[in-house]
Amino acid sequence: MLLRLRAAVIFILVLGVVLSVRQPAHAIPAFARKYDLPCSACHEAWPKLNDFGIAFRDRGYQLGNEKDSPIWQNPSYWPITFRITPEWHRESSSNQVVDTVPGNPALGQIYQDVTTHGFDFSGLDIWAAGTLYKDISFSVLPSADSSGSFHFENVFVRFDNLFRTRWLNLKLGKFELDNLVSEKRMLFLSSNGGFYQVYHYTPFREVQFRASNPPIVQFNPVFGIGDNQLGVELSGHSENSYARYSVALLSSNEGSPGLPNRTYDWWASFNQGFAVGKLGVQRVGAFAFFGQRPTFFNTSFGSPVLSEGLGNKSLYRAGLTGLFYIKKVDFSTVFVHGWDNVFLGTGTAANAPLPVGARGPTWNGGFVETHFTYSPQLVFVQRNEIVRMSRQVFRTDPRDLGDIDAFSFGLRYYPFMFSRAGLALHTEYSLVRSYKSASPLPTSTSPFGPDLRSSSVFIGLDFAF
Amino acid sequence: MKHNRMRAHFTGILVLLFAGVGQVIFAQESHIGGLTGEGSRGKQLYRRYCVGCHGPLGDGRGENAPWIDPKPRDFVTGTFKCRSTPTGALPTDEDLYKSVTRGFVNSNMPSWLPLTKQQRADLVAYVKTFSSSFREEKPPSPLSMPSESAANQQSIQSGNELYQKMNCWSCHGKEGRGDGPSAQTLVDNRGYPIPPYDFSVGTRFKCGESNQDLYRILMTGLDGTPMPSFANGLTPAQAWDVVHYIRTLQMNVKRKKQTAENEKKDRGESKPVGAQPE
Amino acid sequence: MRTRINYLKIGVTAALVLLTAHGAGTRTLRAIGTSSEAREDTSGAATLSGIVKLEGSQPVATRINMAADPACLKMHSAPVMSEEVATGTNGALKDAIVYISDGLGNRTFDPPTEPVVFEQKGCTYNPHILGMRARQTLKVANSDPTTHNIHPAPQNNREWNLSQPPGSSPIEESFAREEIIPVKCNVHPWMKGYIAVFKHPYFAITTKDGTFDLKNVPPGKYTIEAWHEKYGVLTQKVTLETNQTRTLEFVFKR
Repeated sequence: MLLRLRAAVIFILVLGVVLSVRQPAHAIPAFARKYDLPCSACHEAWPKLNDFGIAFRDRGYQLGNEKDSPIWQNPSYWPITFRITPEWHRESSSNQVVDTVPGNPALGQIYQDVTTHGFDFSGLDIWAAGTLYKDISFSVLPSADSSGSFHFENVFVRFDNLFRTRWLNLKLGKFELDNLVSEKRMLFLSSNGGFYQVYHYTPFREVQFRASNPPIVQFNPVFGIGDNQLGVELSGHSENSYARYSVALLSSNEGSPGLPNRTYDWWASFNQGFAVGKLGVQRVGAFAFFGQRPTFFNTSFGSPVLSEGLGNKSLYRAGLTGLFYIKKVDFSTVFVHGWDNVFLGTGTAANAPLPVGARGPTWNGGFVETHFTYSPQLVFVQRNEIVRMSRQVFRTDPRDLGDIDAFSFGLRYYPFMFSRAGLALHTEYSLVRSYKSASPLPTSTSPFGPDLRSSSVFIGLDFAF
Repeated sequence: MKHNRMRAHFTGILVLLFAGVGQVIFAQESHIGGLTGEGSRGKQLYRRYCVGCHGPLGDGRGENAPWIDPKPRDFVTGTFKCRSTPTGALPTDEDLYKSVTRGFVNSNMPSWLPLTKQQRADLVAYVKTFSSSFREEKPPSPLSMPSESAANQQSIQSGNELYQKMNCWSCHGKEGRGDGPSAQTLVDNRGYPIPPYDFSVGTRFKCGESNQDLYRILMTGLDGTPMPSFANGLTPAQAWDVVHYIRTLQMNVKRKKQTAENEKKDRGESKPVGAQPE
Repeated sequence: MRTRINYLKIGVTAALVLLTAHGAGTRTLRAIGTSSEAREDTSGAATLSGIVKLEGSQPVATRINMAADPACLKMHSAPVMSEEVATGTNGALKDAIVYISDGLGNRTFDPPTEPVVFEQKGCTYNPHILGMRARQTLKVANSDPTTHNIHPAPQNNREWNLSQPPGSSPIEESFAREEIIPVKCNVHPWMKGYIAVFKHPYFAITTKDGTFDLKNVPPGKYTIEAWHEKYGVLTQKVTLETNQTRTLEFVFKR
């Protein structure tokens, strides 16, 4: 029992680290330099796109003036952008299990707040993106965490206007799933606020089960809407990009290179904008993901053959999105419904018996993110997010086990706004409450602990060149 | 009591201030169809989208202007290329709206179609505030455009003769490649070199891509450039002939489709020629 | 509370008054612009005459190559020289404009009803420099067997650009504001001329002997400018007494 718990603690810590490696956000001064447009032309407040930026991206990073092809560029133009954020931040978590006397676990454990703060810097994005030829564009984004170890956040080639219609564009590689509300372009950076909970949510029970599984059971069959995936995408848009769709076939390996799983996931999204008089464009959309994950691996002398996933079980996410503008105030809204197959929900290999009474977990979640764009140089941001389990794995589990409340607010100030580089003073406070998600004390009779509260205070200089 | 008086005083001043500011801000409107654009809203949009090139004063001297060719439009002079009105006249609100919507091919000015109609109308209203011309003058009514004649062989032949006679070739070249004897000498109204349009390569024109747009360019001229108005020199029928001839110079436009269309015309069917690929 | 309301009222009233005043001001301005208050008064008028010279050796005019348009080439048996700098004997400078640039105050002058003519002949402009009045009718004629485009490049007036094929009737235009406007034909890049627009009648263009004559100038203090397309502007200040005849000499340096 203790071993299991310890594994769970470790898993949550690992998860915390993974999540605190912030998603690289997308803003490309290289494009601003190429087209001599200020950041504000494409970004509501970078990295969040506005209507013009959405259309530019949909056209395959082209403005359509016959000057997009690289032969029109000055030969010395090099489409590279980098972004990093020196910062001071404070992280605090409640109800952490610590030894009563440091260094002496035998004397027992108690709950305590753990707080740390100091100067730091974010990971680094080095992004190259542009057009290879008219209607052929590319993106390569090597991204480092703050220790300097790199991964490829995205790599793709995109063909636009196939058969001379803007409704057929093809993208191959690793890319962000097309959705109305992009996590890559969010205006939050802190460890607790810098991602959307509903885009990455996994039921608490599932996390616990998986942490205690032997290694032949797939360790991380997580799916995150916000994570870049490997695959091929067909997309299209109307001339003004008010109507947009995407359909993608994805490798079911969470964008990890070198690990094909032999199974595929499907993603589809559609959204439609409406110009509403003086208010601006209102957009609504829907998305759906259907995927399969292996529940265990083939083994060779007991060791898992990693690409040989077996016992595939399903999962899906479906949701509604909306962007609503009322003059200087706008709202990004997302609702997600999620379901994991009971084998995934209990971390059980498909060839093993299920725990008695287990059911596939379902949940609903969503957020309302508010932006007040005082001017292109000053934007106030705020977000309220909740996730509520609608069906726990076990009937006996507390109804609110693993539920999440999250709250963030902050402001971004751009001291200058031009077309060569970008700098933002970013300040943010974020608070996440995870219900009954703290580890129980060893003396506890309940398998669940009290609520876990994590908060971040963040002040940084976010810049891109 | 004293406090109240102070506040009242302040309110009075505020009212005065707003009255003054209001006059400036709401001085310019635009009317596009049923839409009314307002300069005050346009200003916010202009600061977001346009200021980098056209500059805070609308004089085309934004921070990016030195790197841009052709140079951003100077709104202060009130001279605009794409108009439906005669040369030397102000454009209509509709003309400016179309320019904002369409953008300018071969330039840095993109199409602002992704903005809402209201936003584009607001931008037009604000752009008009930069030039006193819009307060002093009214744009005349657009040139009338009689319906297009058939693009048959005879019309193309007549267009060819007019292309020679009207000295179009002096700049655009005998084969429409933009290499006429005067081509190298041309400058725009700010003294920057400006190449004549190369019909053989281009598929779109500065002010649109339809035959109607081409007709309008011929008859109104592109003010601020060496391209004159032919309203004095060509009858409407002759202008359509020139339009039909120029279409034959466009090598990059899908020849096959156009020939098929022409053949239809020769048989007396009157679908407009030269429908452009996107 | 009462006081506050009163002050508010005052504020609103003041704002309204301000608005009305502003509106009225605009109307007055327009009225001045359209009517003519001061008539030309010739009694006791002074005369200002003189000469414009170019110092130093006489420049050699460059030859114009009209080969680009055979129609132009055919019209000339002798070589055509640039009219940019034309001098007479003793350094007399042709085609300089001498005019009152300041000192007329608020006097306004109705434009003459007869038009001025700017002719395209032999693929050159005749005259090379045309003086005219604001709002006076300008007739542009094409006497050549080729198509020209007449393209004035003003700063303060509206720019226009019209094609004029051979045999077409003259184009009628006018300019509303004072300015010396370069005119060119983009089809024939060697064609350059100037249309000088004045809101008063006190201007003259020097002839081959370099002389100019400003007649019927009301007495007063004036700034006189001499303008030349290549050598720029010279300025002199003069005071003209009643019935006085004064002479001035402007000397441009190469």
